[in-house]
Order: sequence, then structure tokens, then C-alpha cells
Amino acid sequence: MAAPHQRLEFLTEDHPQTKNHRRKLKDFSDASRKMRLSLNIGSVLIGFLLWYFITLIPSINTFLASPKQVYAALISESAANGRYFKDISISLQRILIGFGLAFIASIPVAFLMGWYPRVRSIVEPWIQFFRTIPPIALIPLVILAMGLGEPPKYTIIFVAAFLVMVVTIYQGIKEVDKTLIKAAYTMGASDRDIFWDIMIPASFPFILVGARLGMAASLTTLIAAELTGTTFGLGARIQGAQQFMDTSIVLLGIITIGIIGFLLDKILLLIEKRLTRWK
Amino acid sequence: MTDSIIKIENVFKEYKVPNGQNVKALSGVSLEVSKNEFVCLVGPSGCGKTTLLNIVAGLEPFDSGKVTMHGENIIGPGPERGVIFQQYALFPWMTVRKNIEYGMKFLRAPNGKIRYDEKEKREIADYYIKMVNLTGFENSFPKALSGGMKQRVAIARAYAQSPEVLLMDEPFGALDAQTRAQLQEDLLHTWQEEKKTVLFITHDVDEAVLLATRVVILSARPGRIKEIVDISLPYPRNQATKMDPEFIKYRNYIWDTVYKMFLEVRK
Repeated sequence: MAAPHQRLEFLTEDHPQTKNHRRKLKDFSDASRKMRLSLNIGSVLIGFLLWYFITLIPSINTFLASPKQVYAALISESAANGRYFKDISISLQRILIGFGLAFIASIPVAFLMGWYPRVRSIVEPWIQFFRTIPPIALIPLVILAMGLGEPPKYTIIFVAAFLVMVVTIYQGIKEVDKTLIKAAYTMGASDRDIFWDIMIPASFPFILVGARLGMAASLTTLIAAELTGTTFGLGARIQGAQQFMDTSIVLLGIITIGIIGFLLDKILLLIEKRLTRWK
Repeated sequence: MTDSIIKIENVFKEYKVPNGQNVKALSGVSLEVSKNEFVCLVGPSGCGKTTLLNIVAGLEPFDSGKVTMHGENIIGPGPERGVIFQQYALFPWMTVRKNIEYGMKFLRAPNGKIRYDEKEKREIADYYIKMVNLTGFENSFPKALSGGMKQRVAIARAYAQSPEVLLMDEPFGALDAQTRAQLQEDLLHTWQEEKKTVLFITHDVDEAVLLATRVVILSARPGRIKEIVDISLPYPRNQATKMDPEFIKYRNYIWDTVYKMFLEVRK
């Protein structure tokens, strides 16, 4: 029985398909460290230049402050009578408390869900439900319940970070290699040994991934959390500056949040590298 | 055979398949394994080899029949039956030494006390690290090891608990031909140095004949014992044994039997 198509001919120089086969194959490996770094820096520099040049146009400058103006805002805000550092520290405090509580709470909940199928069935619908609701929608309720002090901010950040972390850590626990558990059982391990010796270290990488996602969620929720009637904090500062159309302060706040997020993520990444060297 | 350690009597096992016909994995399997025997189970894929091993390991329930060790029913896994998996199952966050030491913490002396203290565990681990030729890698994490080295760690880890029975589920199946040949010799060497009762699953007939004192051929779907072949080649054996005309006779006979069943199942 003959195959229903022709045999391919050898691709000679003048074959129409040849040019397709003579090209250099795409290299998917990472660029060298030096190359990466210089591209990173170059990209940021070009962004800055672009920003600088477009804000030279007056019609744009009315709603977008120039780098110089943002720098001036930084100087005046961080002056002795300025509020920059107070805003940063109060926002950081809210992030760290909200996130910290969420971290402490999400680990046992995720493990209980991973360990006891019944707990999973009880908790899962609630998590699925709340996951789809943006934490900002809870603000009216939280204010009515807790007033205008610090607790409502912690609560909003807590909810955002907790949900992300529970889901991520729980997924990780489910992914733990069952062969490892079997192997430990055959050595004589009890359920308790399996939990402490296998489940916890095996899901460690997922806990750290969850922490990073939770941290990102905390930051993005911060602005929402600081809408709940407060005078200090980066989010509140951005809100306030908007009313005076002072875009240099708005931009300063945005850049500061970005830098804080970047640094917090780097710290978590460093911890991750340290603790999961075996990976 | 009076000194049988593991006794499998008329074991049946069916896997429930939702919306379909249940799969008969084992259908009346009986087998006795005596002390220090090296039994290889071969058979076409899907014949229930792994199921049978898991049942002896106490990792899987079965529907009817009886599985005993020293006359006592096997109701769960235990350190007297060490298991070696195809996928190594090393704990990736533990170094080679910690992996080998880990299982020893579950061992109890007859008086209920912990059997080995830290120093003894270390000595035992070192002894087996040397035996499987991994000196110098004590503090490496598994990710830094080749497949062959990982499996040697797994073998050392099993030996360190000093189980009476070793259950090996295609332990060399994922390795390249040269590494596999080397590990076969290592295992033969280790087994002769420190005799164990071994139940070894493989689909590689050469491997089965090279290692085993007895080869058990299982038929596929439903899995039952087709034939048991005593391999009377003398030990020590090594790769050169494969040239022995006796070896080739065994090998061809078993290969034929398995392949015929394989073709029948495919029909």
C-alpha cells in the first residue's frame, strides 16, 4: 500500500523552501547577566527620558508632572516638616500587619484543608465565593463595623492577602508528591510524622510563593484600604493630592509604592532562595 | 518450602472504574516467598505486578484472599518491608545522609525505646553510603545526583532500616542501559553481602533472569500467575552471565511466554 503523498526531495540551495531552513534558530536561553542588567537599566532610562520629554508639552504637563516636579515634591515632602516618611511608615505598618496576620492565618487553614477532606469541603465554597469579590467592595461594611481607625485597613489587606495565600498554599499541599508520602509510610512513619516531616517541608516552596503573591495583593489593596477615611498613608496622600490636582505628589506616591513593592518582593525572593536551596 | 516469609493466598483485586467495566487487576494470585529468595515478577504491562507489590507493601487494600508475613496478616506498611520505587522517592530537602538516616528514627528496640541514637544512625548511614559507593556525596541534595546515584541512595536508605524483605518496583526502569547494568551488579553484590528476601518487579526479562532465584510470570487482565521458573544459575552472577547458554535458554523461554501473552492481549 502506497502512502498518499510524495517523498520529500533534498533541499538544495535553490529550492524555494531552503531559506526557511538556513536561518539561525531562535535562542530561548537567557541573555547573559551583563546583557540583562544593561537592558534593564537602559529600559528604565529610556522610560525616564520619554517621561521627561512628553511632560515638556504643556497640555500633557497639566495632568502629568515632570520628573523635575516629582523630584521637587520629593524634596518638599521629605523635608523636616513634610509628611513623606510618616506616610511611608504608616502604609508599611498597615501592609505588614495585614499581611503578617494573613500569613499566620493562611498556613494552618491551608494545611487543614489539605489534610482533612471534610474541612476542605466546609471551607472551599467560602473561599471560592470571596475570591471573586474585590476587597474594596467590603469597605462600606468594614467601616460600619470598625469605624475609621486602623483596624479596617488591616482587615481589608488581611482579606486580600489571606485569600490569595490560602489558595496558593493549599494548591501546593495538594501537589506534594504522593510517592514521598508512600515512601515515608513504608518506613514506618505515622500520620503525624508525615505531616511534620514530609508535608511541611515539601510545601515550603509553595508557602513562599504564596507569601510573594500575598504581598503583592497587600500592596495593591493598600490604596483601597486607605480610602477608608484616613489622613496619613501613601494611598491617602495620593487621594488628597488628586483633589488639589497636584500630580507631582500623586506620581511620587505611585513610584514610592512601586519601589516598596519591588523591595519587599526582593526580600521574600531572597528568603526563598535561602530556605529552598535544595530545589 | 517450610521457611516461607511472605505468603500470598488466592488474592483478588478489582479496580472500580466509574461508568465502565471494573478492571480485574488480580484474579486469584497465590505465591510463597522464602527467606533470602530473590523473586522477580515479570509480565506484560497491566498485569497487576505493581498492584501485587503494593499489596505486600501494605499500601493498597485487596478484595479477598490472604497476605501474610510470618503468618501474620499484612494490614499496612511497615519498616520490616522496605520499598524501593522507580521514581526514587528521595526527600529532596534532605541531603543524601539525612535521607538514609531518616527511616531509622521510626525503629524501636523490643523494649520500646528508640533503637539508634544520633551517633549510631550516622555510623549506619556511613556504612551504607560506602556500600553503594556514594562516599563524598553525603551532603549533596538529591537534585545534584544522577538517576543511578539517586537509586543507589534509595537502596542504601532501604538497607539502613535493615528490613527483612525488600520490595522493588521497577527500580531501574528509568535508567539508561549502562547505569542499569551497573546497578544490577551492585544490587547482586549488595544482596550477596547482606542477604534479604527480595520481591522485584521488572518488565525486562534479561534483568529478571540475571537477578532472580525464581522468576514469576504473570498473565495480563486478569492478573494471575502463569508460570514460575526456577533459575538455577549459580551466584555470583554478573553481566557476563548473560553469555551463559543456560542464561540464554531461560531468557528466551520467559521472553517467549511473556511476548505471546502480550500479543494475545493486544488482539
